Amino acid sequence: MSACDTAAVKPAEVKLVPKDRGGIINPMYDCQPAGAQFAGIGVKDCIPLVHGGQGCTMFVRLLFAQHFKENFDIASTSLHEESAVFGGTKRVEEGVMVLAKRYPNLRVIPIITTCSTEVIGDDIEGTINNCNRALKAEFPDRQIYLAPVHTPSFKGSHVSGYAECLKSMVKTIAKTKGAPNGKLNLIPGWVNPGDITLLKYYMKEMGVDANILVDTEDFDSPMMPNKVIDTHGRTTVEDIQESANAVATVALARYEGATTSEYLQDAFEVPHNLVNTPYGIKNTDDMLRKISEITGKEIPESLVRERGIALDALADLAHMFFANKKVAIFGHPDLVLGLAQFCMEVELEPVLLLIGDDQGSKYKKDSRIAELKASAHFDMEIIHNADLWDLEKKIAKGEVKLDLIMGHSKGRYIAIDANIPMVRVGFPTFDRAGLYRKPTVGYKGAMELAESIANAMFAHMEYTRDREWILNTW
Amino acid sequence: MPMVLLECDKDIPERQKHIYLKAPDEDTREYLPIANAATIPGTLSERGCAFCGAKLVIGGVLKDTIQMIHGPLGCAYDTWHTKRYPTDNGHFNMKYVWSTDMKESHIVFGGEKRLEQSMNEAFDEMPDIKRMIVYTTCPTALIGDDIKAVAKKVMKERPDVDIFTVECPGFSGVSQSKGHHVLNIGWINEKVETLEKEITSEYTMNFIGDFNIQGDTQLLQTYWDKLGIQVVAHFTGNGTYDDLRCMHQAKLNVVNCARSSGYIANELKKRYGIPRLDIDSWGFSYMAEGIRKICAFFGIEERGEALIAEEEAKWKPKLDWYKERLQGKKMAIWTGGPRLWHWTKSVEDDLGIQVVAMSSKFGHEEDFEKVIARGREGTYYIDDGNELEFFEIIDLVKPDVIFTGPRVGELVKKLHIPYVNGHGYHNGPYMGFEGFVNLARDTYNAVYNPLRHLAAVDIRDKAQSTPVIMREAA
Amino acid sequence: MLEDKLEDVFSYTEERCLWQFFSRTWDRTENIHGVVDQATALLTGKPPKRDTPMERLHYADGRTMADDLRERYPWVREAGEEEITQVMESLKARLLDTTIARSTNRELNHHLY
Repeated sequence: MSACDTAAVKPAEVKLVPKDRGGIINPMYDCQPAGAQFAGIGVKDCIPLVHGGQGCTMFVRLLFAQHFKENFDIASTSLHEESAVFGGTKRVEEGVMVLAKRYPNLRVIPIITTCSTEVIGDDIEGTINNCNRALKAEFPDRQIYLAPVHTPSFKGSHVSGYAECLKSMVKTIAKTKGAPNGKLNLIPGWVNPGDITLLKYYMKEMGVDANILVDTEDFDSPMMPNKVIDTHGRTTVEDIQESANAVATVALARYEGATTSEYLQDAFEVPHNLVNTPYGIKNTDDMLRKISEITGKEIPESLVRERGIALDALADLAHMFFANKKVAIFGHPDLVLGLAQFCMEVELEPVLLLIGDDQGSKYKKDSRIAELKASAHFDMEIIHNADLWDLEKKIAKGEVKLDLIMGHSKGRYIAIDANIPMVRVGFPTFDRAGLYRKPTVGYKGAMELAESIANAMFAHMEYTRDREWILNTW
Repeated sequence: MPMVLLECDKDIPERQKHIYLKAPDEDTREYLPIANAATIPGTLSERGCAFCGAKLVIGGVLKDTIQMIHGPLGCAYDTWHTKRYPTDNGHFNMKYVWSTDMKESHIVFGGEKRLEQSMNEAFDEMPDIKRMIVYTTCPTALIGDDIKAVAKKVMKERPDVDIFTVECPGFSGVSQSKGHHVLNIGWINEKVETLEKEITSEYTMNFIGDFNIQGDTQLLQTYWDKLGIQVVAHFTGNGTYDDLRCMHQAKLNVVNCARSSGYIANELKKRYGIPRLDIDSWGFSYMAEGIRKICAFFGIEERGEALIAEEEAKWKPKLDWYKERLQGKKMAIWTGGPRLWHWTKSVEDDLGIQVVAMSSKFGHEEDFEKVIARGREGTYYIDDGNELEFFEIIDLVKPDVIFTGPRVGELVKKLHIPYVNGHGYHNGPYMGFEGFVNLARDTYNAVYNPLRHLAAVDIRDKAQSTPVIMREAA
Repeated sequence: MLEDKLEDVFSYTEERCLWQFFSRTWDRTENIHGVVDQATALLTGKPPKRDTPMERLHYADGRTMADDLRERYPWVREAGEEEITQVMESLKARLLDTTIARSTNRELNHHLY
């Protein structure tokens, strides 16, 4: 049936279904403590202390190193058998004191639980009280914030773990409401340094004094002549304290940032606002308008021009190269749903969306899914609690015919084996160089992502000799 | 005195027992670092857990076996995409990982049904695969799931499958070493001598403790083929589950990695009288010695000499080119354990490199006996080194290159020190004659990397000029 | 003189021989006697034993040792049987002392592997 044949038209169906197996083959997400560690390293002078086996820390540090090509400091309580039997709180106390003694600039230690220490039932809040007494005795002039982060691995995923740690750090550090500071809290969620750089540029152009929770721009850090190592979050203790005095909070990530934004409203009457993560043109428009509305600042000409340049670039690609192309997207829910919206803008057809995590009831309430249902002119399946075997199997069985896969590097062999072009996006993207530096959000991000998609398709046309001659003139 | 208390360890003085600086006229009777002991919480150790020692290092190498990890998804996610051990059947082992995806309800009510379901699903989804290893993790061990009983039940219902169980949750032992041990001993107790394979040569051996990192096993296999030696089982590089069941049929056990796999060689000697021969597979002099010993055992000395002559004629000139240029360079080795003693003398003899500092993550005291016996005076020997210690040691020994993992590699890059991946290699294989030329080439390319000289330049300093780096054609 | 020669063969063994550092006391004892005896036989012109698997193993290690010692130390090539035997017996004693009797390796006497 050609694209313009309308005789047999039927209403497009958008299904939200869970995976039909219990176990997982090739997980799409890591567990909660991994996400908590990611939020923790976004804070300056902070070393998360993971209360569990050493693997829970070692592998997550490796994962971050794979994605960012950087080292991040995260400590473990090195849980062993005797703690499994008698409890491990002593190891938390020892770990906190060792960190405090050996890292004199340390100001924040999120104490991140894991499956083992949650099953054992270690009293983290009580232990923190003991630690605080010991720290006060040993270091009367230092204030080290210990944030309890309950992240059993058998609940949620690294997405919810991130949200949990961020909220706990804010709860622990932002204690009192002070004078209004005129700042806007911006909670970007789990995005790349390149995204943070772009968001900060937007705020500067708008004249908005933004307090980014958490600012990971320096996760892309330099080799300097003086050999200084500056690979750490930029959000300071003071920034977190000041979040209580902001004019409002805008959370850009429903699943990673909304709970913190809601907490700031409940605790300090900082108005909570949730917008869609700014993937694509409309979502970016909505974000900027919301920020303009809250702050009273105008959207400047420079951003109108950036938007125009993006549209100009997208227009070269959409109806010529992208239209009717079938896409599968997997990754974080905020990313996958946002990219699906973006695909619709550029005439790509996101026929299969895979989001991990057993949160089907939450996803049902997500307005982006309603929007996709209303706007899709093709059948779309959204699988939640999905694994990457779902994608591989659907391709192998011919249940979906794909022109493009968008997702993170853990799915690379699906694309390689099925010979489908793949654009790496999300976390982790360790098998492509420098992606952490490139924005995916905002107008510029939309443009750069579209260009990556186009170039991946073009290279594929050439490798497979599939109408590569089209590009003989373009 | 030769046990060293570093400045950064002044608050954890027990670390002195783990760091040795070798002086003239000393040996391990007087000074032997304490090893395989619990890590101090909060020290930012490099260690992983027992589970990963079993799954990631040994079991997960097998090319025909489902790795079913009974626990939350993180343990599967984290031990996937972290190794470079290809296989000759399309890298099945690197493409897939399986998790029972334990959720809170399974923790509360027990996870055995979930495990059974996941095992059946895995076999159903991949009907060509008939072998499986099931691993416990921290939470499933704590709640006491009987994975052996579940495996038995599934094997009864599916007569064509064979399943092995490994019970070493992440909190057991002090490092990944515990997992090596549990898997080794479990395998000899339960699986060796459960199958007989066809013997095609009068010379038969098991090659133990080599995991086909970047094709090591496959390179060495070309030697064994030329010598007419049948390798009954590779433990476990490019290996199969069923071959490992036939280990009792070999006449000789050749051991490379004595730390991860010495246990099974010892048991094969004890139970079946099969002698254990330890060799080093890295380095010209060592590889030649290993081949000579294996051939002397079988009485085929001439074949061995012919092979060595052929290989040396082919590769020695290339090695010598690098040796001339690496003479006197200083290397640090921060890896798992055995590579310290495998490499310290081979890089010195074959490449003229001085190894000035070494740290082992999971070595035992036996490994320190070996490395101190072989290593230089004035060199630091460190058990379970941590990040602050690494910085201090780098200041003391000023290495030209560090063989370590990618995360630490990213860290030392900021100090303008190049790293070579001492675990997964840069561009291997590194074993055998050809492999050691690869190691030499990667070391040379690292040491003569122009970027480290450019990084040292401060463009604000008018007294400095940016150098043009000259290099020779290899 | 004997001291110097012992020092030679001991430092060679330290540098090259993994068999002295097997996992347990009994393995080390077995190897030290087995390998050094085979090397001694080879260095003194006696036929090495190659009947059992363990004899063949110790022959393989002992042969490498004998060849290397001859190549490294001219005195080995010239020494008579009595001197070789004396040096190698002293080596055994020193290895047993270093790797077993005075080793602080806490795993040496564990009854299981």
